[in-house]
Amino acid sequence: MTGQILWAIFMPILVIIIGLIYMGLARKITARIHNRYGPPFYQNIIDVIKLFSKKDVANHGVMFSLGPVIAVAGMVISLLFIPIGNRPLLSFNGDIIVLLYLLVIAPLGMALGVGEGANPNGAIGIARALTLMLGYEVVLVIAAVAVMIHAGSASFMEIIRQQQGGVAHWFIWPLFLSALATDIALQAILGEKPFDQPIAPHEIASGPMVEYGGKFLGMLQIYHAIAIIVETGIFVNLFLGGGSLVWWFVKSFAVFFVALLINAVMPRFRIGQAFKFYWTYPAAIGLVGLIIVAIT
Amino acid sequence: MAKERPPKGLKGWAQGRSLWILQFCTGCGAVELPPVMTSRYDMERFGITPMATPRQADLLLITGYLTVKTLKRVIRSYEQMGEPKYVIGFGSCTVNGGMYWDSYNTIKRLDLYLPVDLYIAGCMPRPEAIIEAFNRLIEGIKQGKFNGWIRYKENLRWYKRNQAMIMDIRKWSIDKKLAEEVWREVQEERRKIFEQATVPHVYEYAERISEVG
Amino acid sequence: MELEKEQAVVNLVKEAFEDAEADVQRARRVRIKIAPNRVFPLVAFLKANGFNHFVTITAVDWIKDGEIELIYHLWSYTRKVHVMVKTRIPRDGGKMPTLKPLFNQAETYERDVHEFFGVYFEGNEKLDRDFILEDWDGPPPMRKDFDTRRFAAEFYGQEDIESDLLKLKIQPYKGKLMQ
Repeated sequence: MTGQILWAIFMPILVIIIGLIYMGLARKITARIHNRYGPPFYQNIIDVIKLFSKKDVANHGVMFSLGPVIAVAGMVISLLFIPIGNRPLLSFNGDIIVLLYLLVIAPLGMALGVGEGANPNGAIGIARALTLMLGYEVVLVIAAVAVMIHAGSASFMEIIRQQQGGVAHWFIWPLFLSALATDIALQAILGEKPFDQPIAPHEIASGPMVEYGGKFLGMLQIYHAIAIIVETGIFVNLFLGGGSLVWWFVKSFAVFFVALLINAVMPRFRIGQAFKFYWTYPAAIGLVGLIIVAIT
Repeated sequence: MAKERPPKGLKGWAQGRSLWILQFCTGCGAVELPPVMTSRYDMERFGITPMATPRQADLLLITGYLTVKTLKRVIRSYEQMGEPKYVIGFGSCTVNGGMYWDSYNTIKRLDLYLPVDLYIAGCMPRPEAIIEAFNRLIEGIKQGKFNGWIRYKENLRWYKRNQAMIMDIRKWSIDKKLAEEVWREVQEERRKIFEQATVPHVYEYAERISEVG
Repeated sequence: MELEKEQAVVNLVKEAFEDAEADVQRARRVRIKIAPNRVFPLVAFLKANGFNHFVTITAVDWIKDGEIELIYHLWSYTRKVHVMVKTRIPRDGGKMPTLKPLFNQAETYERDVHEFFGVYFEGNEKLDRDFILEDWDGPPPMRKDFDTRRFAAEFYGQEDIESDLLKLKIQPYKGKLMQ
């Protein structure tokens, strides 16, 4: 029990640091693809130190400052439902469904904060984020239902247990279509191109973050760091069979790496195009996968 | 209250290694920035990234001449940035007006209106010069040597007065009360300048033409 | 024959407007001189004859003649000819009718010319609003009797800079940063 509590305290800190390193590596890898040298891999940790050492820029009210806090809190709670390295914290039958609900808390918190900022760019960004969410959530839920039917369980630990015993047992093989649909959805969940409409810096000046600076922006960086781990973690646990601590992060980075490669070479969809895309191809792929699982 | 000092130690180091720029692309300097960002010179090596809004930025780049109309927006952007904040002036236009030294509509010396930390000479400076300037800025920030925003706050009245001489600062300042006060002070002087300018110079002009031939 | 399409435009204009002086400047370039009150019907006539791109309005200050010359640029995509309609109005108190009923964009160009040359366009409602020179109280800056050098020296206070800086002990940073 003591171990559990210590792990619950230690794990978010570990995840924040690793998430920030992921973001730094992302910048480095993107730079190498662009034929540049790129920043050091710990660049985002420096950024966060700098942001927290800055004086606060502007505060538009209580809700404005609570927005990033709600976002980070929502992400940390989601994190507790994800078993990292076979160490479950809050695990029970049905935790996948709870997690799908909890993932919505963070963007809603942001929406409340941005609303008080009263910047039209922020409002557009949030409107796009929620529209996009409507697009990818459908795909994600279809794929998750397929996995739950296949495993006969709605618990992450049960699903991981069934995938033990080598690469051949991973659910990515029997549920290939569902995995593919989830991976396409992941591109938007991670906010990578071609689905980064909510934060498009060239159109709407980084969208929801437009009014946030200094410590608030530092909070949002941490939020993003946790979000990357949570979102890749869902894929790792559902399709790649979890694994021990080091293995788990290696797999998670591999998932992130695929998204990065697409991000580095793609332009951006319009929001309408992205929405239409999600409700046609990935949704169709997911549905076919679901039907196959239901029949066999 | 203790006098404000620029950050040193870990804070200074982090501030130096992670400069987020807000580029105010006026004039020709805007063209010099893409080579600095892309693969040939790659400023992201030093953690320098362009940012979309003044709230997130630490470093304001004034890339070239500023007209009075643009200066209003620049001052507004500068005042919205979070402290510590730094300003780099690009090219001779920001030093003394450059090739626009006798223009009726561009400011001659940026120092009078904003606290400039570093100037890059040249018309326009090459990307090598820009990278050199970034390096000096980073070194200076780590040692806590640049204090532009502190100078701006301490001499705010002087800066506001200079700004008020050429523009209506009431709309473009964050401190509305001070702006109103300073604006009332300089109103008379400003009016005099414009009155003098309306004196016709037809004959002087004709002479100048005959001199040139 | 060379300059055939240009000559066709010149003939077309000369037929309809006897008081217009029209000639071919060079390939794809035709200039027409006409009295200020005839500009509106001429541009309307050109618009009806394929000149549907109203490019811009420029102005020249002929200070010795006491006149300001307005030049309306029009381009035809079908004829591939650029027409300049030139007219002269008095420098002081000269007025032009607006071309807004023909081309909406004329409103913007007229505001531009009004700010820089002080030409008054009758019927343009947005003329007195600030456009490019905000809060400008001086004379129109592009007129040739505006002494830009003297104005710049007085307005931006070139002379007093050094003394002001010394008084406040504000000096640009001069120390060595890198060894």
